[in-house]
Amino acid sequence: MAGADVAATAVLNGLAVGLLLFLTAAGLSLIFGMMDVLNLAHGSLFLAGAYLAWWVGGDRQTWPSLAAAAGAAVLVGILGGAVLALLAAPLARRSHLEQALLTLGVALIAGDLFSALFGDDVRATVPPPGLDGTITVAGWTYPRYRLVLVVVGAVLAAAVYWTVERTLLGALFRATVADRDMVAAIGMDPRRARVAAFALGAVLATLAGLLGAPIYHARPGLDLTILVLALVVVVVGGLGTVRGPLLAALLFGQVESVGQAVLPEFASFLLFGALAAVLVVRPRGLFGAATAGAAR
Amino acid sequence: MGAARINRRTLLGFAAAVGAAGVTGCGNSLGGATANAAGGATIKIGLVIPQSGVYAPLGEDIRRGWELWLARNGGKLGGLRAVTVVADEGEGPQTGVPAVQQLLQRDQVDVLVGIVNSATALGVRDLVGGVRKLLLIANAGAGEITGSGRSPYIWRTSFTNAQVAAAMGRHLAGTGLRRAYAIAPDYVAGAEAIAGFSQAFRAGGGTIAGESRPPFGKTQDYQPFLSRIQSSGAQGTFCFFGGAESVAFVKQYAQFGLSGRMPLYASGFLVEGGVLAAQGDAAVGVLSTLHYTAELDNPANVAFRTAYRAAYQVAPTVYAVQAWDAAAVLSRALEKTGGARDGDSLARAVEGPADSPRGPWTFAGQSPRQSFYLRRVESRGGELVNTVVSDLGPLDAEA
Repeated sequence: MAGADVAATAVLNGLAVGLLLFLTAAGLSLIFGMMDVLNLAHGSLFLAGAYLAWWVGGDRQTWPSLAAAAGAAVLVGILGGAVLALLAAPLARRSHLEQALLTLGVALIAGDLFSALFGDDVRATVPPPGLDGTITVAGWTYPRYRLVLVVVGAVLAAAVYWTVERTLLGALFRATVADRDMVAAIGMDPRRARVAAFALGAVLATLAGLLGAPIYHARPGLDLTILVLALVVVVVGGLGTVRGPLLAALLFGQVESVGQAVLPEFASFLLFGALAAVLVVRPRGLFGAATAGAAR
Repeated sequence: MGAARINRRTLLGFAAAVGAAGVTGCGNSLGGATANAAGGATIKIGLVIPQSGVYAPLGEDIRRGWELWLARNGGKLGGLRAVTVVADEGEGPQTGVPAVQQLLQRDQVDVLVGIVNSATALGVRDLVGGVRKLLLIANAGAGEITGSGRSPYIWRTSFTNAQVAAAMGRHLAGTGLRRAYAIAPDYVAGAEAIAGFSQAFRAGGGTIAGESRPPFGKTQDYQPFLSRIQSSGAQGTFCFFGGAESVAFVKQYAQFGLSGRMPLYASGFLVEGGVLAAQGDAAVGVLSTLHYTAELDNPANVAFRTAYRAAYQVAPTVYAVQAWDAAAVLSRALEKTGGARDGDSLARAVEGPADSPRGPWTFAGQSPRQSFYLRRVESRGGELVNTVVSDLGPLDAEA
């Protein structure tokens, strides 16, 4: 393989993984920024999406099964988000530690439920016909599904970015992050914005899990793996923004794929090395916004 | 501060309890069958298997193999009625060691069987030695367990990581393959597999074109490693992975177009049991070495396979066979000791079974000297199986 092929593969892969990571982390950042809730059950939503893909589509997805699973994922996301919002509401004025304990408990219960429902085996699924297989260009081979993932991920990421940065709903989100009391004072109900943010974030995580199922394979423990990655992205990107996690996720995607290709002996340390490097330079993350909590 | 004191005191009490257990020897450890209300003597077995976490599917197979042997032998081991107490080993020594402790102290078991994780097996070495009870390892493959620092009470009916990999190294060198790439996760078992393979492959005249050790349990995406394998100039890839990682690796190896150019060779765990179904078509054609495959046609295995399918509706796995053999070995040893269940008597009496589904094997040291089989993944009637390509002959644990 020539150098150009290796580079193209690594960069594309970094994009595919990074965009999935962004879709997961965007919700985490929104929820934290909007509601000041640290949601440790976020990885469970991702895993729920991955299990949905397998449960609806089996080992080999079809187009109808993918559509059905996507619809179900949106419903599960809305439901999951609503339940979490309700559970977290009484803790709204309490410390992050208590919220973390609550949502971690939810994550553990969800993990056991998944095990009971789907067993402990790895549940792998193949994308629908036309999306699986590989493309070969001049001897360079690349999995087709990952290309699709780059495109779909980019579209979804753009939609999220546009919603938060360019629409009235997004403005309300951002205003709530900046000053919750002022939003209430001008006659907007911040509670509705908060539930909307929770639902949107949860739907994004569930959809990311559905899209990621053919790569990550639904299995016990995946929820915590994804949660840690998403937390790292949110910490680096800054809380309560969308732009920050987007850049951080894309950065980490590249760090993982290009970094491992260039510095294999440091594979284990790359991600957290990058995290430490960013935090030394920018302790509040790349685009850290003051959260609603700070305004109280 | 108070909390810290309580913690330390609890810890001291714990340590004292462990020490005392060693001194008092936990009740009657010498011979003598205990009579029970139902009349007839019983023996209490502690089955230590993962019932939660990533190794749970292996634990399930071990439990099935164990229970099937008892069901087929009237529920008796060496003429004694067997009572099995199951404890959850979890994912590592932090849960596995307390599980063993509980079986020894609270349940007062006579013999221990099981253990998937090598760190757990090493962690209970002194516990088992302290109370002089026999432990039959039904999976854990670290060489150290039966190596130079071994306990005389810990015997294994499974394999060593190096042994399985060496079988492949020896075979590949014999086929005239010159350059191979080796990849395994960055932890003890992975290192042992790479070492076992490389040593045997080099001894046969082969060259290792390169090796990679992806971070264990943290690698989702093997693409950077696959790129390096492709540009290494190797003619084939040897790998050792298990569980979810084996699914990810096999699928990505096919997705990135390597399986067409460089055949994938592996320690058999890569394509054994539940993970094979998850890998699907991506696994077809993978060649692996293992001391068992459900496709073996010796009479013992045909009977075992039929009974296993009837009981559980799936093909048996190597993990089930290791537990089945543990029961057979223990039963035979109890016959020889006349029902004495202390570790010293049993350790003198253990011997490899002549009618194992994997073919007859013997103990060399405290690990099996056993035949290895070259297996190829093929699709048969919509189900993936590991067909027998050839019998590669026996190998010691210190391969």
